[in-house]
Amino acid sequence: MPEIFDANKKEDDGLVEVKRLMASGKYKNDWGSLILSPQIKFESQNEGEKVIVLGRRHFVTNLGWIALICFAFFVPFFWNEFPLVADVDNNVHFFLTILWYLSLALFAMQNFLLWFYNVYIVTDERLVDVDFFGILYKNINVTQIRKVEDVNYSQKGILSSFFDYGDVVIQTASEQRSDDVFGKGGEASPFTFEAVGNPNEVVRIISELMEQEEEEEYQGRTR
Amino acid sequence: MEILPGITIDITLSIVVGLMVKILMILLLLLSVIMVRQEVLMNKVVNLPLGKNLRVLVWVFFLMTLILTTIVVIA
Repeated sequence: MPEIFDANKKEDDGLVEVKRLMASGKYKNDWGSLILSPQIKFESQNEGEKVIVLGRRHFVTNLGWIALICFAFFVPFFWNEFPLVADVDNNVHFFLTILWYLSLALFAMQNFLLWFYNVYIVTDERLVDVDFFGILYKNINVTQIRKVEDVNYSQKGILSSFFDYGDVVIQTASEQRSDDVFGKGGEASPFTFEAVGNPNEVVRIISELMEQEEEEEYQGRTR
Repeated sequence: MEILPGITIDITLSIVVGLMVKILMILLLLLSVIMVRQEVLMNKVVNLPLGKNLRVLVWVFFLMTLILTTIVVIA
């Protein structure tokens, strides 16, 4: 007998927005700020839960520390200009130079790891915001799509307009504020996808997921 | 400078700076160990495809720091 309607069956057609963006061939780069349908797993992932979007801060936001490292790279060339350093032996000069470059490398790797692993995950059921602050503290926020009340984004400044990145703020019923030290006095919501690339596309995808969720709730299907 | 009767040491700027460099190198080695551990934990939270490459990178950095610290401390 043909199956006409099954209330428990999941719709697995995928989102229209995601299909449209996938067809454009972009958003597949693992280093990118917005990755569609990435092959990843995360700690609290449920069985059968599909990751739709993986986002992180735009690479341009790293320019500050990269510029600092470029500047600091040349400092040992001018050791003799520093009053105390100029008076030490050549051996100590050499060790000081090694220490300087190792510290720079550690600083660079630390910043890179924080950028790479501070990710925002949108699945077909939930939103996950993974924040690492320094190397000893992490903060992970999770919410169900059906609990999302409002989604909006903002782009501030020349760089964000030029490189098309911005903050996507997702309002939920929760009153909790995130203690994000990167933000100016904390984020507007625990679910703030900071400086994410193509924020308009992220908002569209989340809106579509919300509509889908509402439709499923109306039809009596739950996940 | 005589620190004990009959025992004198000559403290120069190079000795002080050299000692500080050695201490900082050991501190840096500890930080690199912490970074290796943290990378493993980060990759556990979010298992990204490039995570393994980054693990290799932080291990290489740790080994390099270990070798250089050993050289500097022994020298």
